[in-house]
Order: sequence, then structure tokens, then C-alpha cells
Amino acid sequence: MHVRPIAPSVSRRKMLGLLAGAAASMSLTDRTASAQDDTFKFGLTPVFLSNDLELLGHLRSYLAERMGGPVELVTRRTYQEITAMLVSGQLQGAWICGYPFVQYRPDLELVATPSWHGKPLYQSYLIVAADRDVEDWHALRGDIHAFSDPDSNSGFLVTRALLAENRLSPSAFFSRTFYTYGHRNVIRAVASGLAQSGSVDGYVWEVMREIEPDLVNRTRIVRRSEWLGFPPVAAPKSLADDVRITRLREALLSMSDDPKSMKVLQLLRLDGFVAAEASLFDTIAAKVEAVRQFG
Amino acid sequence: MKLLRRIRAIPVSYRVPFLVALLMVVISAAISERVLDRLSRTQESFLNGLASTYLDGLSAAVLPAVLREDVWEVFDALDRSATSYAAMSPIETVVTGADGRVLAASDPNRIPSYSAPPPAYADRYGAGVVTIDEDELTGFARRELVYQGQPAGTIHAAFDVSDLFAERREILVTLLVTNTVLAALFALGGFLLVRRMIRPMRILEDHMRAAANGAAEPILSAEFPSREGEAASLFRGYNALVRAERQRADLAMQLAEEEKLASLGRLASGMAHEINNPLGGLFNAIDTLKTHGGTTGVRDTSISLIERGLQGIREVVEAALATYRPQRSAKPLSAADLEDVRLLLRPELRRRRQRLSWAVQWKGEFAIKGGPVRQAVLNLLLNASAASPEGGELGLAASGTGDLLTVSVRDGGPGIPKDLAGILVDPDPGPAVRAGRGLGLWMVRRMVDEVGGTVTIAKNPEGGSTVTLLLPSAREEGKADAA
Repeated sequence: MHVRPIAPSVSRRKMLGLLAGAAASMSLTDRTASAQDDTFKFGLTPVFLSNDLELLGHLRSYLAERMGGPVELVTRRTYQEITAMLVSGQLQGAWICGYPFVQYRPDLELVATPSWHGKPLYQSYLIVAADRDVEDWHALRGDIHAFSDPDSNSGFLVTRALLAENRLSPSAFFSRTFYTYGHRNVIRAVASGLAQSGSVDGYVWEVMREIEPDLVNRTRIVRRSEWLGFPPVAAPKSLADDVRITRLREALLSMSDDPKSMKVLQLLRLDGFVAAEASLFDTIAAKVEAVRQFG
Repeated sequence: MKLLRRIRAIPVSYRVPFLVALLMVVISAAISERVLDRLSRTQESFLNGLASTYLDGLSAAVLPAVLREDVWEVFDALDRSATSYAAMSPIETVVTGADGRVLAASDPNRIPSYSAPPPAYADRYGAGVVTIDEDELTGFARRELVYQGQPAGTIHAAFDVSDLFAERREILVTLLVTNTVLAALFALGGFLLVRRMIRPMRILEDHMRAAANGAAEPILSAEFPSREGEAASLFRGYNALVRAERQRADLAMQLAEEEKLASLGRLASGMAHEINNPLGGLFNAIDTLKTHGGTTGVRDTSISLIERGLQGIREVVEAALATYRPQRSAKPLSAADLEDVRLLLRPELRRRRQRLSWAVQWKGEFAIKGGPVRQAVLNLLLNASAASPEGGELGLAASGTGDLLTVSVRDGGPGIPKDLAGILVDPDPGPAVRAGRGLGLWMVRRMVDEVGGTVTIAKNPEGGSTVTLLLPSAREEGKADAA
């Protein structure tokens, strides 16, 4: 796997790639889409613990009840697939990462942002094996490094930008890099020794430390990034005024008031959802810019 | 050969169970070998099947990831397979890409991704699906990943096969224990059976040993085996033999007694003669005293004659008494015993007008029972006298050192017949004795055998024979003492 070049904005090539991905997704979902036109399709990325079936069940039934219609939760392996489906309108809403949100900002409507420890913010961590004796991220030079996803902010962009600010590229700094397509997988890769270091979502790392302490405690943090905008829930711009989006926003924002949805929040270790300004993600946009300037 | 002889020396009651046990060991070794061989084949085919399933499942899971060189996906597949193929006990699985470098290993800390695989991998595989390293208790298997006819990579797998060896060892131990117990039981059974079978032989052996030591007793009916068989018939045969031997010994004793009486008769007649001779002179002297007793010279001469005559009679009587007094026969032999023999022989010599040359250069005592020797020397001298012609000469010579007494008796006869000589010198004096002849010589032989001495017979250059007895002292010869 090689690190893909990051487009400074939505280049034509990137757009073509997205459309191709969307077309592929469409051909798979075509039949169900035509049969259930009124189904609200909500996309989930591996930003959070999307592999928890109990959580997905609770979330789906809560959204269906509050929105007054059937809800389908759509998961894909990569951020790119979900982002492409969202931008192309195949999904009516999706929980995406801040990085794609910044990339496709003109095409997306910010619906709500999760609040963690009272703020809609999180960090990116650089982690190594717990028994490894390093003090500073500079010591990670020459590592085999595990990224989460090329479209992840915390699992890729933050580290990429850090290196760019220091006039370094991942391929020059690390001996090898690979993507695990999941923050939990980054932790597993570092814990097992497959990678010597990894870029991981700080929220996922902290939550998993409670759920799977045996796995997470085999890793430790070398560097915490500054606080960044928490991965938000977004909708296609074209549906900004749609009543379903309004209902979705209301459902998310009132999650902390509803005892039924409290279960979902407890499983996610989140306080609730807040209505945040799009400027919350300006720091992420700055990182994209930093990477672009470095080339 | 030496071992074989040693084994043959072991009593049969131990040898048979030993051989039974040995046979069991050989049989069990052969059976164990077959069982273990069969087991190892079964295990091998089981392991091969398991390994093939593992590799099939794994290649299907990793092939797309290997084609994409997706390190994480390959590792994830390996990581998950470790739990889903727990029965296989994989120790280590390594997937290499088309370029031969490691994509992912189940333990990346040991074998990092992107590195070259350990060189040991090149030569650890054999011809079969799974190659087993018995020292490491590890099985190795490899699967080439092929996509559209092109090599895409390789899966290297190592399995823990210690369970298989533990199972083999367990079965081996079970076999060994079972077979040892069986062999021990068979050996014990064999031992008891053989002991039971040879018990009559032991009884017979004990009786024969006792018989050799002079106390031949028939086997009591209580000792007979309960069933009729070879042993019972053997016992009956032995008892018949003992009874026959006893009759023969009784007969021999009776004959010896008769011989003793016969020689006594001869001696008695000689003694009667010896006493009778002076009696005529004595009566004459008494008549002379009756008629001319008043004459001093005549009276003194007559009394002196009577005295000497009576003295001669007393000597003869004393010698006879000494010879047949039992309490004296247990005393050690002394020169006086030989003098007694001379006295006893005198009448016979006079009757046959023979001369006895007397050469006894020995004085004092010799540690040997006097009675039997005296009787033997007397027998020899009587035989010599009988063999020598009238008016001939016979001789007795005796010389002794501290522990050996030599007594020689010489005659002037034509020589001792071969069968009679055999009684004295042959290892088995039996034939002549059984023919009922030479009982006197047989008694000599018995005395010599009892004290552990030897007899030699030599021809004299001037004619006649010399019989020499060599008698060891009982002090030196424990055997003679025991006898």
C-alpha cells in the first residue's frame, strides 16, 4: 500500500474517483433503493465502534421511531465509499470524518456533532507498543506505521500534516506504511507488533481502553494532537431543507433527553449531539492546506 | 556360548518362567511396534487432512489481500484463523508475497512484515503435506498461492504436534504397562506350574542325596503325588531300588558275619591246638610230680615246666580276648595291636610249618581305630598263609610317619587271582563280592575306604605277592573322621 497523494481541493480526478465509487455502490444498492424509496439511508464509517451489532440495533430503532419511517444503516469498509455515496445522494445522512467533511464542504450540510466530555472535540494519537521506550514522535523514524484510512483525519491527516509541517513525507519518514481501515485495527496492529507505531483516533483509543483494556493497554501514547472537531453527522447539501434532515437533526440533538437513546450514548461513551458551526472544522481544513503547501 | 551355558545352569523352575517372560516381551515388542506404527500413520493422515483444511481456508482468506499486498488484511486473516483453527494448534504462520518477502506473520515481533523470511524455511519442508520435526515437536507445511496460473505468494505454517507425540507416548506407556503385567503374570504362572511339576523330582533328589550319604530311605506314601503318573511310577521304581539295595546290604552283612565266624573257627581250632600242645607236657609234669615230687630237683623242673606251659596258654587266651574285646577296638591303633595279630596267627603258622618275617619299625600309637585295622591285617595274613605253600615264608612290614602308616603283607604264593585283586584295588569292588567270594578281602577294602586309604598289589621278584595298605591319619583326614 502506498500513500495516496492528497488533493488540495476537489480535483477532477478525485471527483471522478468518487463518482466511480458511487456508481459501483449504486449498482449494488439499486434494487433495494427502488423497492424502498421512502427508507432513510444513514451511512456509518468506522470512525466509531461500528462493529457493535447491539449498538447498531439500538441506534436504528431510535432513529426509525423519531423520524417516523424505516431507517437503513449502511456500513462500508472505507470512508471513501460512504463519502461517495453521501455526496452523490445515495445516502440521506452519514456519520463521517471531519476530513471528508472539509474536503466536500460545499456539497455537504452539517447536521450535528457528537459531544465527548462536554465538547465536540477529540484528538489524534500516535501510539506505540506499551513496552517500547520512545519519548518523542521523532523517534518513530524508520517505523512500519499503521494508518487507519486515507480519508481519516485522526487516523491519517493529522500525522501527515505533522510530518508536512516538519518538511517530511510519510514515505520518507516511515520505512513502510499500511492502512487497516479501522481505528481498532490500528490498535491491534501496534499491539501485535505488525506495525511499530500507528495513527489512531483518540476517542476510539480511550473508549476501547474501557471495553478492551487487555488489547489497548498493550499500546501507549507518544503524541496527542491538538483538539480537533469531532467527526460530524452530515447530509447532502441538496437535502438541506428536507424535512427528514430536520427530523434527523432533532432526533440527534435530543438524544441525551430520551432514556431509550441514552443506551446508545452510553455504549458510545458520548454525552450527546450538539449543533456546531462548520467553522469547528477549520483546524482540520488548515491541516489539509498545510499538506497541500508541502506538496 | 558362555551365556548359553550359564542359562542352562539356571534351574528349570526359573528358566521356564524366564523364557515365558522373554517370549512375552518379544511378542509385546512386536505388537507395540505394529500398534505405534499404525497409530503414527493414522495421526499423520489426520494431521495432513487438518493441515490441508487449514491451508485451504487460509489461502482463500488471504489470496485477495496478498494480491493487493495488503499487510493488514493478511495479518487480520492470520489472527482470526488462530482462534478458528485452534484444533490445529498453529504455532506460527507466515505469508510471503510474490517477491518472497514477508507480508505478515502471526507473530510480527518475531518475523516483521517486509523482511525476508528466515533462511531455515527453505529446507524445513519434506515431500509430504506436513513435515514433522520430532526434536522440536513441530510440524511444518507450506502452500503456494497461485492466481491465474501465476505465483502470488506462499503460506508457511508451523504446528504444535506435541499432542500427537504425547498420545503416542501415552499409548506406548499403556502397552508397556499392560505387557509387563501380562509377562509378569505369565512368568509367575509358569514358575508355579513348573515348580508343581518338578516337586516330585526334588523329593526324589533329596532321597538320592540322603542315600549317597548312607541313609537310603524309601519315599513315604504321603509324599507321593495325588494322581497316578510318571512321578508316581518313578517313585515306585526308586522304592523298589532302595528295597533291593537294603536286601543286598543285609545279605552282605550276613556273609561278612559268617566269614568272621569262619575265620574265628579257624583261629579257635588253632588256639585249641596251641593250648592242647602244652597240655600233654603239663600232664606229664603233673605225673612226674605225683611220683617223684619228693625229689627237689625233679619237683622244681616240673613246676617250671607247668609254669611255662600255662604262661603260653595265657598269652594265647589274652591275645584272643584282646582281639574280640569291643572296647579295645575303638582305641587308636598301636604296635601292640600288631603284636596281638602275630600271636593270633602263630597257631596257624605252626600248623602249616610256615615262617613269618616280622619287620615292624614303628612304635607308639596312630590316630586310627585299632580294631578294624587289626582285623584287616589278620585277614591279609591268613590269606597269605593260605596262599603260601607249607613250610614257606610270609612277611609283615610296617612303618609309620606322623600322618601315614604303611603296612605290607608278603606271601610266597602263585599270585592273587585277578578278580580277587579287583576287590582290593578296583574303583568298584562289587562284581567279585556279588559273586560271593573274597569276603575277607572285601572287609579289608571296606576298612581302607572308610579311613580314606589306598591299597596296592605288587608281584615280588622272588615269587609271591605283596599287598600294601597306605592308611592316612584321622587327625589329618577330616573325611576319615566323618566316616
